[in-house]
Amino acid sequence: MHIKLKKFGTTLISRQSGKEAFLAFQSTIVDIVKDENVEIDFDGVITFSPSWGDEFLTPLLNQFGNRLVLFPTNNPSVKITIKLLEDINKRSFKTKQPE
Amino acid sequence: MEEKLLTIAEAAEILGVSLDTLRRWDKNGKLVAIRKEGGVHRYYRQNDLDLFASDLIKIAHEWTTEVSELPSMFYCENSAVFQTRLAKMQNAMAQSGLSEKILPLVVAVAGEVGNNSFDHNLGKWPDMPGVFFGYDVSKRQVVLADRGLGVLSTLSRVRPELKTHVDALRVAFTEVVSGRAPEERGNGLKFVRRVIAQNPISLFFRSGDAELRLKKDNNELFITRSQSIIRGCFTIIEY
Repeated sequence: MHIKLKKFGTTLISRQSGKEAFLAFQSTIVDIVKDENVEIDFDGVITFSPSWGDEFLTPLLNQFGNRLVLFPTNNPSVKITIKLLEDINKRSFKTKQPE
Repeated sequence: MEEKLLTIAEAAEILGVSLDTLRRWDKNGKLVAIRKEGGVHRYYRQNDLDLFASDLIKIAHEWTTEVSELPSMFYCENSAVFQTRLAKMQNAMAQSGLSEKILPLVVAVAGEVGNNSFDHNLGKWPDMPGVFFGYDVSKRQVVLADRGLGVLSTLSRVRPELKTHVDALRVAFTEVVSGRAPEERGNGLKFVRRVIAQNPISLFFRSGDAELRLKKDNNELFITRSQSIIRGCFTIIEY
């Protein structure tokens, strides 16, 4: 399953909106078949922060582990946020290698 | 040609404050009105109003030292208003041609600082809820302030050994600890520090009598004590 984060907005900042996005996404999760990867695409997102990321990506990482795959991006706010979440959770996100 | 003067009602509409606030500001010298010769009515020049509203640091800092009405253009009473204005700032910065390497970081830093104010003070605001949020894309400056509990009071609930504002700021910017325990939170200010350590952005952060400076492209924390104490937190971001 491929998730375009921009569908949740281009300014992904607050904990509240991150939590709302995660809850909204739960209804889609039931469609994910066993062993299917959950791909996160940051394309189109302008600003991303640890508050939003911690409410959306951290629970997905706990839920799907290595089946959660982050697509590469040049956005600096995404890059720093991902690294910080990895350090805090002491767990790495799997990332798709650029083709 | 004689300059057009604005009535006090017009000035109140422009700044988004009440007539009483403008009268009080006139009396205490914060924003002095003009009186026509022999007259009693207050008038204002547009230029004076623009100048007053452009001094973000002064307006925000005064608000942290004394509770008063804020011009509505800067006052975010709740988180929803703040998020909307943050997105507006993002658009204004993009239109000003700010680089894609910096823009998301400045918006994210401002977002984390502002959201911190709401997250840590929800239901606990001592007097006036909300944050001051102002920005000037030409000066490349963002200013935020709140009249909340402040960092020491928030953190001492989970770290009771913390006694000074200086120690509280050091912990807030370096350790993963949340004042909202048992919830595992409190990454925002660590993010802010990381961003600034690697980018041409600087930050001044004040809470209680402690002042912290993060200099661009520098990982060091510069924390000093100030002569006076402010309510809540006060932040200047420059890029």
